[in-house]
Amino acid sequence: MKMKKVTAMGMAVLMAATMIPAVPAMADDAGKVYYLNFKPEQDEDWQNLAKEYTEETGTEVTVVTAASGQYETTLQSEMAKSDAPTLFQVNGPVGLKNWKDYCYDLKDSDIYSQLTSDSYSLKDGDAVDGIAYVIESYGLIVNKTLLEKAGYTLDDIKSFDDLKKVADDIQSKKDDLGIKGAFTSAGMDGSSDWRFKTHLANLPIYYEYKEDGIDDTDAIKGTYLDNYKNVFDLYITDSTCDGSELSAKTADDSRNEFVNGEAVFYQNGSWEYSELSKTFKDDELAMIPIYFGVDDANEGLATGTENYWCVNKNASEADVKATLDFMNWCVTSEAGTKSMAEDMGFTIPFKTAEAPSNVFVKQDAEYTEAGLTPVSWNFTTMPSEEWKNTLGSALTAYAAGSGSWDDVKSAFVDNWATEKALSE
Amino acid sequence: MVGKTIKKWWPIFVVPTLAAFIIGFLWPFIWGIYLSFCKFTTVQDVTFVGFSNYQKILLDNTFSHAFWLTVAFAFISSILINVLAFAIALALTKGFKGTNAFRTVFFMPNLIGGIVLGYIWQTLLNGLLSKWGQPLLALSAKNGFIGMLILLCWQQIGYMMIIYVAGLNNVSPDLIEAAQIDGATSRQILFKIKLPMIMPSVTICTFLTLTNGFKMFDQNLSLTGGDPAKQSQLLALNIYDTFYARSGPQWKGIGQAKAVVFFILVVAIALIQLKATSSKEVQQ
Amino acid sequence: MENNKKKSIIPTIILTILSLLWIYPIILILLNSLKKESAITTTGVFELPLGEIWNGFTNYVASVTQMDFLKSFWYSLVISVMSVVLILLCCSMCAWYIVRVNGVLSKILYYLFIFSMVVPFQMVMFTLAKTADTLKLNTPYNICIIYLGFGAGLAVFMFTGFVKGIPLEIEEAALIDGCNPLQVFFKILIPILKPTIISTAILQLMWVWNDYLLPTLVLDIKKFRTIPMAVQYFRGSFGHVQMGPMMASIMIDIIPIVIVYLVCQKYIIEGVVAGAVKG
Repeated sequence: MKMKKVTAMGMAVLMAATMIPAVPAMADDAGKVYYLNFKPEQDEDWQNLAKEYTEETGTEVTVVTAASGQYETTLQSEMAKSDAPTLFQVNGPVGLKNWKDYCYDLKDSDIYSQLTSDSYSLKDGDAVDGIAYVIESYGLIVNKTLLEKAGYTLDDIKSFDDLKKVADDIQSKKDDLGIKGAFTSAGMDGSSDWRFKTHLANLPIYYEYKEDGIDDTDAIKGTYLDNYKNVFDLYITDSTCDGSELSAKTADDSRNEFVNGEAVFYQNGSWEYSELSKTFKDDELAMIPIYFGVDDANEGLATGTENYWCVNKNASEADVKATLDFMNWCVTSEAGTKSMAEDMGFTIPFKTAEAPSNVFVKQDAEYTEAGLTPVSWNFTTMPSEEWKNTLGSALTAYAAGSGSWDDVKSAFVDNWATEKALSE
Repeated sequence: MVGKTIKKWWPIFVVPTLAAFIIGFLWPFIWGIYLSFCKFTTVQDVTFVGFSNYQKILLDNTFSHAFWLTVAFAFISSILINVLAFAIALALTKGFKGTNAFRTVFFMPNLIGGIVLGYIWQTLLNGLLSKWGQPLLALSAKNGFIGMLILLCWQQIGYMMIIYVAGLNNVSPDLIEAAQIDGATSRQILFKIKLPMIMPSVTICTFLTLTNGFKMFDQNLSLTGGDPAKQSQLLALNIYDTFYARSGPQWKGIGQAKAVVFFILVVAIALIQLKATSSKEVQQ
Repeated sequence: MENNKKKSIIPTIILTILSLLWIYPIILILLNSLKKESAITTTGVFELPLGEIWNGFTNYVASVTQMDFLKSFWYSLVISVMSVVLILLCCSMCAWYIVRVNGVLSKILYYLFIFSMVVPFQMVMFTLAKTADTLKLNTPYNICIIYLGFGAGLAVFMFTGFVKGIPLEIEEAALIDGCNPLQVFFKILIPILKPTIISTAILQLMWVWNDYLLPTLVLDIKKFRTIPMAVQYFRGSFGHVQMGPMMASIMIDIIPIVIVYLVCQKYIIEGVVAGAVKG
């Protein structure tokens, strides 16, 4: 008899220790949305938009933004959980390869029918796995006021040689102009290095693909790496700081230099508009192509996307439905399109999009109208995050003088083949 | 009699701990060993692949680099920490003024977590390096390595010092006095009497510093993050990096296999070290 | 005597300088946390927060409001306290059983616990996170069960070491008087075990409070962040590194630790020594 009592008590303790957590959460037939957002700049805007949606429809929307440079880490760890993200992002075909088994086919979804062009979808065979939700451009952002003060106008810069001449001249009289350098610091901190290891590195890939008439390769040749070196050299010599300090310079440092009028040129993209417009008027800013010395007369801004929405097919049916509704609402409702255009400064490739106020986006349209060819975003075919990181480290060491350009070349060419082979 | 009476009370005394132990350690451990032979992204798509993950470890040169770096780091840091902690402990047992205040200060860093410590030292060391015109932590694997050594010394010397102080206080003053009367020099007293008498403290301190050195993760993550190009990456971070930062279904299995190798290494080192130093202990 | 005093001046000076060096990194962070964000640069860290760059406590306000730092503080506190209490209670009971009941089960358990102490966390990180997720042990209020499981090794080891030295007679007498084992444990064992309880509590508290990877992988990050996680998030979840609030958050993390340390210094240091001697 006593034995039984003891056993019963023991079981009670055991239950207390392990079962409390198993009390089921409220029945959630309603469906929830859990969005793992990639773009840290827009974290606050997404939180607000989610709140608005919840108020309007009652559907619970949670937005989590990964710390910068930690998206893949966070996604991997979150996808393994039972309460996994219902909406996540991949950056293009290479990113999709890892997650295609987890993507819900969006072929019959409302949001797919809203796309302005089929080229903004990411397909695996017939299945529509991802949908681009933002189109962006990058190039060299110019402080027009400072440029004029230095005695030049935008018309003086039409090629790489022009750019170098102007930048060198500005650098030589930086003290008279009251600035620190022609270019903002090419910061290689994790918050900023993607501007060079990914965005700038897109140009040699773009021209090589174009020359060879391909759109992906297992072995890059590095035909235009000398041009890559020329541009990067220009960034680090005509700079606001010494090359050895770049490793610790953050995206903020670089932006602050531009905002404070300490530099004339700033390589970044249309997403910077919302920050920069706080300080500058529209006619003080311009974005010019990153002239690469290959086909400067026809080169436009680099325009494309690396932000594709994917829906987790392992989520419950109710959650999938809630997620699809939320996505559709974001790109069709007034509140959604307004927030995406104005607060986030996005150009979205959907029929109901609002015209953005973003001056860089407008400029991109003007360049295209004038007959320039936009540079496509081929960094979505880069073999892996690993490849980018290795390239970034080599660039950092090169800028600081502790590494050679040959290391950069090897990180670009040899490592491409290695990483491509590994991802098979 | 006590044993007999409480024996049938196991549901209360043992089961809660055991249940949690199974959830929090035993089951994940066994499952982890199984998964090291599999290819998977999440647990929904596990396929058995045999030893191929282990073969791939050898092809991954970041692993062998991290392996040797960790071995070097653990041994160097262990020696440095123990020698310095012992020296400070000796000074603090001489009965100078303010011994307690010094002890308080030296021990304090131990209470601060690894992530926070890493950022503290990153700020300080990068400031110094740029002042001296040296490459910053993220640029030079050598500076990163030295930085991690300094950080770990700063964190752990206080802890080990306290253990040594306790050990030294236990050495009977009569023994030292007797030696002094016999004309022993202070150097002889140190090496012939004090050191052998505190061998148990040495054993435990080397054990702790070695395993801490091998398992270091947080400090590595926040101080250097493995930069440049994984050249300052220790094993624990290398495994985490393989597991979570590399995308693609093959990496998780490889990461898990690396973890198994790492686990065997740590257990082996711990066993060898315990055997080696405990054989030198004086029976008290 | 005179000679002795002179001799002690030089070491005292050396030790004083060393101690100042020892606390300098923390002072440096304190100074920087009072500066304007733009002044916290690699080259400017050594400047004092005076004049132009003085920022008062703005960074502290920013760090508390923006990141919900108080919430993180609360979660860290809940997790640490609950885990440590649970570990102390369950593991001391388990250790008593293992020592007093001789049997195969006790032996196996004892060696398993010791074994778990050396296993690196990376070995189980993925499977542990998954197990915790399946059982829904992913909130600050029940993650303590995970901590009990993963921390049991060290605690059981320390308690068994101590229990072995307690003479059996007292327990026997109590049992003859009609107490049941639970009463014996709480009325007799717990008071005797007090020193070990304190040292185990301190070692476990230091571990749980500062732990980063386990809560990052296990906790539901949609809702909960501990302090180490929050500090890590300052590096960029708003698109840029906010050095000012980050410095402030480091200080907010350190200050309570230092206060607790100064108040309970005696116990902490004794605890470490006892832990090392037993361990």
